[in-house]
Amino acid sequence: MNQTVVSYLAQYEFFDSLLALFGGNQGLLTFVIFMIFCLAIVGMCATIGGLGTYAERKISADIQARIGPNRVGPYGILQFLADGVKMMTKEDVMPFSADKFLFYLAPMLALVGVFATLAVLPFSTGFTLSDMNVGIFYLIAISSLVGVSVFLGGYASNSKWSMLGGMRGASQIISYEIPVTISILAITLLAGGMGFGTISAHQRGLPTNWFIFHNPFSFIAFFVYFVGALAETNRAPFDLPEAESELVSGYHTEYTGMRFGFFALAEYIEVFVVCGVGAALFLGGSNLPVDLSFDIIPLQLVEVVIFMTKALLLYYVVIWIRWTFPRLRVDQLMSICWKYLTPIAIFNLVGCAIWVVLFNGKSVAQLLMGGGH
Amino acid sequence: MFLQVLFLLSATLTIGCGIAVAVTRNLMHSCVFLLGTLIGIAGLYATLGADFVAVTQIMVYVGGIVILMLFAVMLTGGKDFVSRAQNLLGLAPSMGNKWTFALSGLVGVVFILTNVKLLMSVASSLPTKEINNELPSTVNEIGHLLVKDHVLAFELSSVLLLGALVGAAIIARPRKQ
Repeated sequence: MNQTVVSYLAQYEFFDSLLALFGGNQGLLTFVIFMIFCLAIVGMCATIGGLGTYAERKISADIQARIGPNRVGPYGILQFLADGVKMMTKEDVMPFSADKFLFYLAPMLALVGVFATLAVLPFSTGFTLSDMNVGIFYLIAISSLVGVSVFLGGYASNSKWSMLGGMRGASQIISYEIPVTISILAITLLAGGMGFGTISAHQRGLPTNWFIFHNPFSFIAFFVYFVGALAETNRAPFDLPEAESELVSGYHTEYTGMRFGFFALAEYIEVFVVCGVGAALFLGGSNLPVDLSFDIIPLQLVEVVIFMTKALLLYYVVIWIRWTFPRLRVDQLMSICWKYLTPIAIFNLVGCAIWVVLFNGKSVAQLLMGGGH
Repeated sequence: MFLQVLFLLSATLTIGCGIAVAVTRNLMHSCVFLLGTLIGIAGLYATLGADFVAVTQIMVYVGGIVILMLFAVMLTGGKDFVSRAQNLLGLAPSMGNKWTFALSGLVGVVFILTNVKLLMSVASSLPTKEINNELPSTVNEIGHLLVKDHVLAFELSSVLLLGALVGAAIIARPRKQ
């Protein structure tokens, strides 16, 4: 049941010739395939994270009627490489009274937590590193490492701004995990499984089969998820942990060079992961609009493109929101989470459960077209 | 083979971080090493085929308990504990006399012998063949057990947790003058 990219490739004939190439050593071949795919996915997501900084600046410039970065490469598209070189060559400053061990550990934990989530992100039905039965649950659990890293980064810097930013960040991430998890639970209920493969298989075909259009409750659940996800990734209008006007730069105020780069990269990749999860859970994931009976590898690449398009469109919306809405206050942040989003999410969960029982798990479109049976 | 490597890695992480938790002098560092121990234990669960329990371990401990502990340590002044930390030998004379040490030593020896005897019988009855790599999923079984067979215990524990939550809210609420 636990499908991986290796077990997907094993159904093709060239897998046997590959196996012969490795002298019949299946363990080694599995390791090599996993290694290649891990490197490819991590490399791709790191590039997306880097390009995210470029997109952020370019889109913000567009919204504010400016030009944005335009010096490095055509349309300034190589700006992120220039930034990367700058970060790597900058001096690695550590505050005198910082907690050395935790100061070094915090950016690593942020990257580990984000990269670990890529293991279950369903780029296509075949090219998922591991389609675990507890996929979405694993993703929620392991991404909480980022919360720990935000907190530790704030604590270890031994600076008031960092400390306040870290505390805000940790409390915000813990609070917003609740509505996000409950919204995801509603989708788990509709799909009847926590694996991304199961969830994706339920949304095959036309957009009317997507879970966002499944019933009114899942439609609301998508927006609850999206707002909660914005807060969990510390994006505006919920970017209180790094509020420039109050806290200089929040939990990474004291970080310089590549250690700051790790935090920034982790944030941008996390936004991509969160958008990918939103696309996979609510917007049909990597499914083609038509139901084909055969499966070849080029088709998988088309699926990857579909998934990336959906995820990157959500990514655009995230950036758009950042440059449109003003920042919230701390008390507003907490009252939105506990007084509005959490009750709405619980209401959605109960609503979805009742819907599944009443209509036998059928979507609105199926009920309309099926003539009421 | 793969599972064995993972098991060894998780076991090393668990034991190494566990020792580090005990010997490190900084309370904040202890908390972070505890994080490593708990992740290692999750790895042990995963290699034993309990995927749901492994993920729940990470969810509950990494996402909740460790962050709460870090908060608690920070708000109660984690730095001040560094100077007060004592090593075990310096602490030992204040904890009892020779009779208590002899008694606890005897209890320890009996405990270890009992455990060794229990584990020997388990180890000798283990199948010698390598276990199957394809582990079944435990999610469905856990769901059935929780809401069918053990639904009373499940509901009672949820009522208990709700009571704890309400109690915490009442204690933390600011008193009206």
